Amino acid sequence: MKKLIALTLGAAMLLSGCGSTSSSSSANDAVEKYGSDTLQLYNWGEYMGENLISNFEEEFGVKVIVEYFDSNEMMYTKLQGGDSYDVLVPSDYMIERLISEDMLQELDLSLIPNISNLAEGVKNLPYDPDNTYSVPYFWGSVGIVYNKNNVDPAIVEEQGWEVLRNTDYAGKVYIYDSERDSFMMAFKALGYSMNTDNEQEIEEAYNWLVELNNTMDPVYVTDEVIDGMINGTKDLAVVYSGDAATILAENEDMAFFCPNEGTNLWSDAMVIPANAENPLLAHEFINYVLSYDASYDNSSYVGYASSNQEVLDELSATDFADNNAYVPRAGYEKDEVFTDNQVLKQKLAELWIKVKAAN
Amino acid sequence: MKSFQRISYPYILWMTLMIVAPMLLIVLYAFTTQGNDVTTFRFTLENFARFFQDAVFLDVLKRSLIIAVATTVICVLLGYPIAYVIAQHNPKNQMRLVLMVTLPTWINMLVRTYAWMGILQDDGIINSFFSLVGLGPVKLLHTTFAVILGMVYNFIPFMILQIHTSLTKMDQSLLEAAEDLGANRVESFLRVTLPLSLPGVISGITLVFLPAVSSFFIPKLLGGGQYVLIGNVIETQFLTSGDWNFGSAISLIMAVIIILSMYLAKKVDRSPESLGGGSKG
Repeated sequence: MKKLIALTLGAAMLLSGCGSTSSSSSANDAVEKYGSDTLQLYNWGEYMGENLISNFEEEFGVKVIVEYFDSNEMMYTKLQGGDSYDVLVPSDYMIERLISEDMLQELDLSLIPNISNLAEGVKNLPYDPDNTYSVPYFWGSVGIVYNKNNVDPAIVEEQGWEVLRNTDYAGKVYIYDSERDSFMMAFKALGYSMNTDNEQEIEEAYNWLVELNNTMDPVYVTDEVIDGMINGTKDLAVVYSGDAATILAENEDMAFFCPNEGTNLWSDAMVIPANAENPLLAHEFINYVLSYDASYDNSSYVGYASSNQEVLDELSATDFADNNAYVPRAGYEKDEVFTDNQVLKQKLAELWIKVKAAN
Repeated sequence: MKSFQRISYPYILWMTLMIVAPMLLIVLYAFTTQGNDVTTFRFTLENFARFFQDAVFLDVLKRSLIIAVATTVICVLLGYPIAYVIAQHNPKNQMRLVLMVTLPTWINMLVRTYAWMGILQDDGIINSFFSLVGLGPVKLLHTTFAVILGMVYNFIPFMILQIHTSLTKMDQSLLEAAEDLGANRVESFLRVTLPLSLPGVISGITLVFLPAVSSFFIPKLLGGGQYVLIGNVIETQFLTSGDWNFGSAISLIMAVIIILSMYLAKKVDRSPESLGGGSKG
């Protein structure tokens, strides 16, 4: 890791060395080449390598304005409010929705030659099989992080999602505060599809979660789960694989397990909204993110699985060698990808707030 | 006089655009629902029915009101003595003390609330101290105590400032008159100072109660995601489930509750003045 930082710093210094002599002209070059020298990026918080933006700015003589969102819905609300961005990084089901509402531009793949670097696991994704609108950024699964000293691995592997309702661990549990992920875990524990809209199955999943809420005294968190588990505050937690990779790297008492009942295989991908002001530069950015150096910077720093195959191979052999959370489980038939269903989503959101308020 | 009136036009325009128009939009959203393919929306009372027919939402509302009332009461009980003590000092010291009260508000509320998380958590400052003296970790974070603590801490400056202002505005000669007429300190406080400072207390109560009843990030951070208050329900409607109509309806219900409580506060505000008998003169 240190070596990497030194390397990137060195690279950045080299770049800035050349850049400073021609900085005024490079800005003009960018205007000439792309029509503008400013890129508006709207990404998740804590989701980029330390030098990704500065390196891109140096290399192409442009300026990047970054804004952060913490849910797909927040991003969608702002987009609908008329805000204009050049590149967004939404998740699978949200991309499906944006495509169906004509809010995205078709990509010109000839401007993104690095798409040939795409990892096997993120090729032909169901929401956009031919990368007509989107290019994957990170991908992963959702699983359970547990403290090996306090929870027997055999029990976690045997009980799967059900271990989160094992009252031996009451008061020791973090649940991820999102209706989709929580209902996913309930549906999977009950043996249903996580995209079901069968009333009976939803009712059962709701009761599954209410019982968890009422017997386990769980704490519902989002990003706080990372620090919480690194500090060993709780023994069990529902965690996104990339966050799990970070936790495992920081605290060796922790282990990661993807339940056999199946889980959510997700991916976040870069898209260009229909109202983007600067689509040419947006293509350049997407291409840049897929390059080996940028992907390496991103993935080694954030801990999520890279969409660049070479980086994925490299990091799983080095930085994340004994870390089973880094590379998502691929090709397991019970794992699913979320599909877009507004009615279902609203319903689950309302049920979820009721689950949390029920005690 | 006429020419002065004209000066106010830009402000009226501003207020219409920034306050009245959004309010009207909320009302519009609250009474409509996203329609079918033929009409874009239709009028309905469904959103309100959905709220009032649901025991869970009513429980959340009740919990929010209890927390807000508790916060307000604690703010009065703590804030009044503090404001009173400050008002006893000479003007220069008063300025310094008021500055100390307002100093924390210079830092963003969110940051200060995060700081409380660090203080209260299981391996935080308080529990580290407890473990030094051999006491096990006490669960402080993610409790009702933490939520009320966070609210009192964040909102008490509003209470202190309001009460302090009304105490310093008070004519000191009234106290001398009370003394001349044979009142001891307790009597002159109860019969002169307290009634005269009540308007400050009332406006302090409104300034504390309003943010307390609708706060959503304090319960979220200090209570944990399981601590659902009405502000969190509204936030979810807009940011997660995208049901703006239902969210607007709940906001409107809250607005009505708040307007009612302000009306009641005004009434209380007026009655002691009439009791106090010509204190205005």
